[in-house]
Amino acid sequence: MSTKTKTVEKNGTLKPSELKSVFTRAITANSEWPDKDEFLDVIYWARQAIGLILGVFWGLIPLKGFLGLLLFVIVNAAVIYFYFSSFQCVDEEEYGGAWELTKEGFMTSFAGFLVTWIIIYSGLYHDGLQS
Amino acid sequence: MWADTLLIVFISICTALLGEGLTWLMVYRTEKYQKLKTEVERQSKRLEKRKEAHGDSLDKQHKKKIEREEERLKNNNRDLSLVKMKSMFAIGFAFTALLSMFNSIFDGRVVARLPFLPLTWIQGLSHRNLPGDDYYDCSFIFLYILCTMSIRQNIQKLLGFAPSRAASKQGNSIFGPAPGQFK
Repeated sequence: MSTKTKTVEKNGTLKPSELKSVFTRAITANSEWPDKDEFLDVIYWARQAIGLILGVFWGLIPLKGFLGLLLFVIVNAAVIYFYFSSFQCVDEEEYGGAWELTKEGFMTSFAGFLVTWIIIYSGLYHDGLQS
Repeated sequence: MWADTLLIVFISICTALLGEGLTWLMVYRTEKYQKLKTEVERQSKRLEKRKEAHGDSLDKQHKKKIEREEERLKNNNRDLSLVKMKSMFAIGFAFTALLSMFNSIFDGRVVARLPFLPLTWIQGLSHRNLPGDDYYDCSFIFLYILCTMSIRQNIQKLLGFAPSRAASKQGNSIFGPAPGQFK
């Protein structure tokens, strides 16, 4: 049975042998992306990382209110837009337009951002309140 | 507050892993599911390619072929959802019970302080079962849902259980791209 579960799934899983090459391509400008899903995965994981990093920063500063949410949306979209249009220079039409790329993994990254922001903020600035 | 928030993150990691594990046991590893999944993926990719190739041509024959393939894909997608549904219900029930248990443990407890004022229609969730009118207080359920939203999907993606992009773009499965995400 266990052999049957090892069907290769491109979406989401990066095979270990390709891991390095995908990562190097992701941080090299103007790389080639023959597999669309691979590039979308890079965008997805980049988004998650940005969400977590911004969450930690916003919590440490601490940034509060609607401004924090707005800034997150702007920074997140801007970084990804800059990444695929200026750094990787991909043809966005191939992926169904800039909007498809901009929204790839957005909700998950937003949720991750909120969690880290709330945890760091309440842990650092409101820890003594309850006791 | 560190203890509570980190505990909630831990709980949602555990429940996400448990959910995926159970789904694997009941669905993902079955032959029927795997066959259907590869079939749907193959068909979606083929359909996408065909649509791209004959995008604007109004050739009747091609149109008919594409329509026929779409119909087949739809049927396969429906079968896939049906295979998933049974276990989803079982897992849904189990998790609702778990959730109500956690809910009673954290009942009336402020687990975190929100750095922003939630929108009014979210306040019912973020301030659920909490005393007072300070809407910056965060309830267990709100943080848990947020954790699950991010953790579950990432775990699905890491393990390769997430529905493929081509399939979710082409097909209209009953449950949408992430079934039972909040459970």
